Amino acid sequence: MFFTKSKGCPLFSASTPAIDYKNPTLLEKFISDGGRMLPSRITNVCAKHQRSLGKAIKHSRVIALLPFVSLGR
Amino acid sequence: MAFYESIIIIRQDVSSTEVDKIANDLAQIIESHEGKVIKTEYWGLRQLAYEINNNKKGHYYFMGIEATKPLLDEIDRKLKLSESVIRSSLIRVDEISKNPSPILGTKNLDEGETVDVTTNKKPAK
Repeated sequence: MFFTKSKGCPLFSASTPAIDYKNPTLLEKFISDGGRMLPSRITNVCAKHQRSLGKAIKHSRVIALLPFVSLGR
Repeated sequence: MAFYESIIIIRQDVSSTEVDKIANDLAQIIESHEGKVIKTEYWGLRQLAYEINNNKKGHYYFMGIEATKPLLDEIDRKLKLSESVIRSSLIRVDEISKNPSPILGTKNLDEGETVDVTTNKKPAK
């Protein structure tokens, strides 16, 4: 699982929805298969968005929309 | 008064009429404390990402409210006392968006019809 090198932060484009802890389908793209957050050097997310992503993922985990850790079934 | 988003997860073996009852009780508490319920959404019976008290699924209920601190304490107390509610969260937000939550656009697993999940999964990768 890797992201192809793109120019700039993927969250700046107008087509991507806003970062929201209630949107697990968006947040899933920024966590690894094991459920850990991916570093921005892999996903190319800018620092500003990475901060809000981190918060959103943590909120999302509390309400069981995202896993804290997924071991695979 | 500030805006808050509240999400409660209710045990899977509770019927949907009882879910409505819990939500109505909550709304009544809010109204009686001069709070305002701005938006409510029922997200359906969803698969939990991890087990909570041996529950694998739960009814998700979303509420956008305008409230004060004493009201929040009261809501929190009520939700902790309730045995049907397995998880609740209250998050302060700047404003409550009028659009439906993005989670409603994605397909619920328990809607009855079989949706091919593999096709809409990970298109960007």
